Amino acid sequence: MIKNRHNTISLFLVLVFGFVLFFIGTDGFSAFTAETARVKQLIDDKPKFPEVTLEDNKGRKYSISEFEDKYVFITFLYTSCTTVCPELEYNMAQVYDKVPSKYLGEDIVFLSISFDPERDDPATLNKYKDFFNSDGETWRMARISDQAELKSLLDRFGVIVIPDEYGNFAHNSAFYLVDKKGSLINVLDYKEIDEAAKTVINLLENGTEE
Amino acid sequence: MNQSFYGLLLFIFLVIPPVANFMESVMVIHMHMQMPMLVIAGFLMARFFQKRFPGFFVKWNSNGLPGILLFVIIMVYWMLPRTMDEALTTQTVEAFKFFSLPFLAGVSLRNSWKKLSSLGKNVVIISFTVMFIGLGWLYIWSPVQLCNNYLLIEQVTLGWAFLTTAIGLVIYLGYNFFIDPSAYE
Repeated sequence: MIKNRHNTISLFLVLVFGFVLFFIGTDGFSAFTAETARVKQLIDDKPKFPEVTLEDNKGRKYSISEFEDKYVFITFLYTSCTTVCPELEYNMAQVYDKVPSKYLGEDIVFLSISFDPERDDPATLNKYKDFFNSDGETWRMARISDQAELKSLLDRFGVIVIPDEYGNFAHNSAFYLVDKKGSLINVLDYKEIDEAAKTVINLLENGTEE
Repeated sequence: MNQSFYGLLLFIFLVIPPVANFMESVMVIHMHMQMPMLVIAGFLMARFFQKRFPGFFVKWNSNGLPGILLFVIIMVYWMLPRTMDEALTTQTVEAFKFFSLPFLAGVSLRNSWKKLSSLGKNVVIISFTVMFIGLGWLYIWSPVQLCNNYLLIEQVTLGWAFLTTAIGLVIYLGYNFFIDPSAYE
């Protein structure tokens, strides 16, 4: 009997241990992949957009302060990408179309940032933007030429880019929403277009995401 | 030279940074070679602990159930896509991997397996089979990249490795069910 009691106690302890382990390991059963954990962490941290020099599709150079007092809706891409980036940009275009035009350029700017500055010069970006009916003003495409600056932005926003052997990149994708003061406030699922548009419109109309 | 010593050697070999880095650079080797080898190292070293603390295991793991449950918990934990990623990016998670797989999973598997009834053994193997099929399906047909540190193609490779392992387990279960070893003695 004594033996059995010990056995039951250890069984119970193991169960508790397992529960705690999984609870901690998945942030309270909410993040089972590193990607969901990353997004949660970013929304909690609200990192600031670093001081980097953007060079856009018209060859203009500026920092994030160009968009002061405007929300910025950001995606990361490279134009030679044939898989997820066109989908990402196509979905971004749909969000863009859903936002009432009176806000565009006034209260919000759409910005696609390339992490492949060698190939994505302003001319390439300018051509690429036409595929998505981007006007190059209220929706701009830009590169960050300085590798150190680019890395600082990617690190801060948790964008992981792994070059593969064929000149392509594997990377995680999302919509990034930066507020009027240059802080990241939300990371949205790029596949949920309606939800993303709703969040953006609410933000523009009411100043809150709800 | 006893098996505990070989287990220790295997463990030390796996911990050596160049070996560990190499094994972790390929997703399928990370999950299907490094992790099982760590369990095997613990399995071999278990003899040492059993001799050293015989009373402990008899007292706290008399029917093998707590031990096998601990084994299953540790295994499932390391099959989460997230833990695999974090083992690469976070030092403490990596350290926990090298501790938990041999000393929690390996040792308790050794100590529990023989205590289980054949029903218990079959339940464990069937659960792992179902889990491997599920994970194989997840890694192969998942529309998204589950691990940030590995390419998608590696994820698919890992999925097939899970499915092949599951097929192996099914064959074993079938063999166990249809063939009576005593008929051949």
